[in-house]
Amino acid sequence: MLERFIDVLESDDPRAEPAAATRDRLKARFAPGATRRMTTLGMLLGASLARMGPSEADAIVYASGYGESRALEDFLDTFPNPSPTLFQTSIHPSAVQQAMIGGQRPAGEFMALSGGNLLAFHALRACLLSGARRVLLCGGEETGTWLLEHGLASPRTFAFATALTQERGPSALGSVQLEPFDTDGSMALPELFDLLHARAPHAGPIAPGWRLSLSWFPTP
Amino acid sequence: MAGAARSPRLSSCGCLTPFGNARETHAALVRGESALRHVAVLGIGGGDRVPLALLPGRELDDTNPPAWLDALRSLALSIPGEGWGSPRRPVFITGSNFGVGGLYALRRYGDPSFAAWGAPPSCAEQVRKMLGFGPDVSILSLACVSAHLGLLQATRVVASGAAERALVLSFDFLSPFVAGGFHALKILNGDFPAPFRERASGSIGLGDGAAFAVISPDEGDWVVEGQSLFNEMHHFTSNRPDGSGFARCMESVREAALGLRVWVKGHGTGTLEAGRLEVAAVVRAFPDSPITGWKGGLGHTLGSCGLVELAVALESMRCGTAPGVQEASGEPMAPAVAAKAFPTGQFDGVVLASNAFGGAHAAFLIRHA
Repeated sequence: MLERFIDVLESDDPRAEPAAATRDRLKARFAPGATRRMTTLGMLLGASLARMGPSEADAIVYASGYGESRALEDFLDTFPNPSPTLFQTSIHPSAVQQAMIGGQRPAGEFMALSGGNLLAFHALRACLLSGARRVLLCGGEETGTWLLEHGLASPRTFAFATALTQERGPSALGSVQLEPFDTDGSMALPELFDLLHARAPHAGPIAPGWRLSLSWFPTP
Repeated sequence: MAGAARSPRLSSCGCLTPFGNARETHAALVRGESALRHVAVLGIGGGDRVPLALLPGRELDDTNPPAWLDALRSLALSIPGEGWGSPRRPVFITGSNFGVGGLYALRRYGDPSFAAWGAPPSCAEQVRKMLGFGPDVSILSLACVSAHLGLLQATRVVASGAAERALVLSFDFLSPFVAGGFHALKILNGDFPAPFRERASGSIGLGDGAAFAVISPDEGDWVVEGQSLFNEMHHFTSNRPDGSGFARCMESVREAALGLRVWVKGHGTGTLEAGRLEVAAVVRAFPDSPITGWKGGLGHTLGSCGLVELAVALESMRCGTAPGVQEASGEPMAPAVAAKAFPTGQFDGVVLASNAFGGAHAAFLIRHA
């Protein structure tokens, strides 16, 4: 069985909030001027990640099915004169890099995953196999416009970050366990987000051959 | 749970480049050949002519289905074993360009059929089905160190006992999307790249590439050790000027290589500042080791370069000769830079390094089992 403890958790579910309102709500959490070139996903992710107090010794595991949907859309619309800024912003793990570069925070191990209905399992497995004392699991999506019409972007916007430790500390909120299990299952990223956001427990298959136990400790 | 209690082995590795398979690619590089040709940066959309290495017969613009599928299928035929994608034999697909060629075509030409290939999950799912893999297929994408991430995850699932074998499959095929992006950054221009050589200005080339590696707990002649990742998070497209990012990444690799005679396959895209910083860091970490790099002949195969060049490095060890950097004007950045092919028989292993946007660094050691 693989196990880690949830030490810190931050999640943001803007639901129907317009992107401009989300950006305005989060702007004060970044240095003045820093958000001008940040995407909405970068701001949401960055705000959650900042609550973890990331350090170089932490491993970061980032999960997003579609990554920088709006930057991709905008970059494609700059052809035949492509924008260099939008090109670099459109790469898959850009949200984390926007946040960490903005804070000039180097990171040791940084894993960036994409995926579909097994993404939650793959991200958690990466966390639970890391040798780092603390792993920061973060993820999110942002809605697209024309990409969404083609099924190439997320229909909802959200972000989260959680610090997973090897040892149970006095402030531990809960635990995450993965163990071999002889049944099929799946869990996409939004499903994991909903569990974390609601602090909801879960015990059941998460991937073919694997079971997830997500437990929450009583609040002291 | 610790990552790597035992050092897993590479039981099989292969690649596909415009030159052919690993053996053909290695032979061409030893002969000093380059697969780079001048191609219009936006394909049928025109634009400046830049050095690109495309698979034979392939155009820069994507087709539907993609013209690179047959090449990927032929590479997959050389992957040994079966049951890939099952819980005990997971697959890690890596790359930095999943579907962006299709995405470009979708937007430019309005053909919705390209959407089937237009995002990492859909592109990887199409490939998974085509190759007959089971559902356990992870996708890792961190720009040009993507393949290193897949290799690290594969070694971890095997070392931990969570899997009995693991497959890493990486592919990056060029398109106007990525060529246009690098051209906009002005590092992809009309000049051919000359990695690790001093010139008036730097330039890169880009190349199609795909590769695979099978990781096993105990089968194979090569051990994977010292896997290292470090992310400067200083700037999207430049490194800390003191070179500390390169040095930090080399630390654990150097420890793993203590007492061993190694040569170094660097990243070496052809940009000047990053090349100088990388050479300086390698010389400090491995003062007695020759440094080489092959993007002058292959172009930069982007997120797959770590695995494509691993296949060439293993072929170099098998054959006893490693290709040097591409012949070009300009002095090597250090005496350690191998301007010509060199013998590998005296070495115990090879260090392989890659870099990416965001100051991402990755490196590992391959040594005889």
